[in-house]
Amino acid sequence: MPGLAPSEIRQQFPIFSHHPELAYLDNAATTQKPRAVIDGLAAFYEKQNANIHRGIYSLSAQATLQYEQVRRKVAALIGAPGPGSIVYTSGATAGINLVASSFLLPRLRPGDEVLISAMEHHANLIPWQMACRQAGARLGVIPMSPVGELDMAAFRQMLSGRVKMLAITHLSNTLGTINPVEEMTALAHRKGIPVLVDGAQSAAHLEIDVAGWGVDFFAFSGHKLFGPTGIGILYGRAEHLEAMQPVIFGGDMVRNVTFEETSFAAPPQRFEAGTTHIAGVIGLGCAVDFVSRLDRPAVRARVEALGQYARALLAEIPGLRFIGEARQAGAIVSFVLDRVHPHDLATFLSAEHIAVRAGHHCTQPIMQYYGIPGTTRASFTLYNTREEAERLAAQVREAQKFFT
Amino acid sequence: MNEKLKQLYQSVILQHNNHPVGYGKREGSAYTLDAYNPLCGDRFQLFFSLEDGRITGLGFHGYGCAISKAATSVLVKHLEGQPVQRALEMCRAFEAVVQPDAPAPSATEEDFEAFAAAREFPGRLKCATLSWEEISRFLEAQGVGG
Repeated sequence: MPGLAPSEIRQQFPIFSHHPELAYLDNAATTQKPRAVIDGLAAFYEKQNANIHRGIYSLSAQATLQYEQVRRKVAALIGAPGPGSIVYTSGATAGINLVASSFLLPRLRPGDEVLISAMEHHANLIPWQMACRQAGARLGVIPMSPVGELDMAAFRQMLSGRVKMLAITHLSNTLGTINPVEEMTALAHRKGIPVLVDGAQSAAHLEIDVAGWGVDFFAFSGHKLFGPTGIGILYGRAEHLEAMQPVIFGGDMVRNVTFEETSFAAPPQRFEAGTTHIAGVIGLGCAVDFVSRLDRPAVRARVEALGQYARALLAEIPGLRFIGEARQAGAIVSFVLDRVHPHDLATFLSAEHIAVRAGHHCTQPIMQYYGIPGTTRASFTLYNTREEAERLAAQVREAQKFFT
Repeated sequence: MNEKLKQLYQSVILQHNNHPVGYGKREGSAYTLDAYNPLCGDRFQLFFSLEDGRITGLGFHGYGCAISKAATSVLVKHLEGQPVQRALEMCRAFEAVVQPDAPAPSATEEDFEAFAAAREFPGRLKCATLSWEEISRFLEAQGVGG
C-alpha cells in the first residue's frame, strides 16, 4: 500500500508544488487531483482519443473498452454487483435529479410523501421538492438535534405507508455528520420504501457497500473523489434501472428508431444519451485506481483523527462555536466566530494561504435551523496535515484579534 | 496579514463596521429597501423617506460582513439629506471606486477610497456594492418617474 503518510500522498498532487504554502481545506467543495488523474486525462486526449461505441476502427474500440472498464472499477469500489448498475452522470446532482424525475415522479401520487432529512444539500432537497410539487405529494423532513444528529425515533414514526422514497445524505457537507444509512435503509425497506443515499461527501472517505446495505440508489461526483469535474456516478439496483425511462433522448441510447417509434437501449446506456464525458470517465477510472490502492480504513481513521485534532484546537478559541458536533462525523468542521463574519474570516485566512469555504454551503435550511447566515468550514482529506490544522487555528485567533 | 488585506480593512472599514452610522430598525419610514445577496446571505434593510426631493431619515439594519456593513454605513453617512440627483452621482462615484473595470476614480470622498482595495478581492466586490446598488436602482426609478 503506497504512502499513507500525508507527505508522501501530498507529493502525488502537483498543485502543492505550484502552491507550496497552500493549506487547502476546502475538500468538501472539490478535492485536488493526483498526478495519475491529470496524466490519465492528458494521455487519453494525446494518445487514445476517439468516440466510443460503434467505432469499428481500433482507436474507438480501445476507447470503448477503457470506458466500460471504468464501470467495473467503480462497481468494485462501492460494492455494486456489476457494471450494469453503474450509470455515468455529470455528478451527484444529475444522478439525484434522474432518480427524482425518472424513478420517483411516475409513481408519485397526490397525498404520497417523500422523506429527506433536515441536513440535506440543496441537490438532495430541491429535486424531491419539485417532484412533490408536480405530483401533489408532501415532502417530509426528518428532524435533527442541535448537535446535528438525526432524530431516529422521529424517523421511525415517519415511515408510514404513504412514503414513496427516502433520500438521505451519507455525510453532511456542512455539519460533518455521518448518518446510519445502513440502519435507515433496513428500516425503510421494512415498509417497502426505496432509498437513495447521497454519497457526494462519503465516496472519497468512507467504505461504501451499496449491495451489502441494500440501498436502491447511490449518487456521487468524481471531482470530490480526486477525479475530474463534470463526471459522476449513479448506482441503481438493476430492477429499478430497468423500469426507469430515460429523460434525455438522443444518440447512443436506443435499440431501434423509426419515425413512429423508438425502443431504448438497456441500462446503463439508456441514460447516457449523446457523447458523454469520455475523458472524464477515463480520469475517474484513474482516481478510483488511486483510492483503491490506499488502505481505505487506515486513511479514514487518519483523516477523521485530523478533523478531531482541528476541532480540539479550535475549541480553545473563546467565542467560537461549532455548527455540527455529531458523535459520528467526518473531517468537516463548520464554525461561527462571535463578531467576525465568515466571509471576512475566509478573506483573512486566504491572505495566509489557507483555503476554507464560507457561507451557507448550499444548505440554507441548516442555516435557518441554527439562525445563522453562514459558517466557516474547513474540510480535510488525505493530503492534509496536523501542521495545517495548527495554522488554521492560529490564524483564526489572529483574525479574531484583527476584527474585534 | 498581508498589505493588501490591511489596506482593504484599513481603519475606515473596521471603524464603520464596529460603529455603523444610522444603525437600527426604524418605524414610519416611507421606504424600506431590501438589499440581499442570496449567494452569501448578507441582508440589509435601508429605511428612509423623501422630503422635497431629498433623502431623509436614512438608516439601516441587518446582517453582513465587515465590508458590506461598512459600505452601508458609509452610504448612510453620505446620502442622508442629499437631493436625489446628487445621491445618484454619489452612487456612481462609489461604484467607480470599487469596480475593477471602471475608469480610475477622480477626486472623491475619503471614505470611498477605503473601498478601492476591494478591487483586489473580486470575490468581495458584491459585499461593497450590495446596498449601493439597491438604493441606486430606487433612485434611478425616481428620476424616471419625474
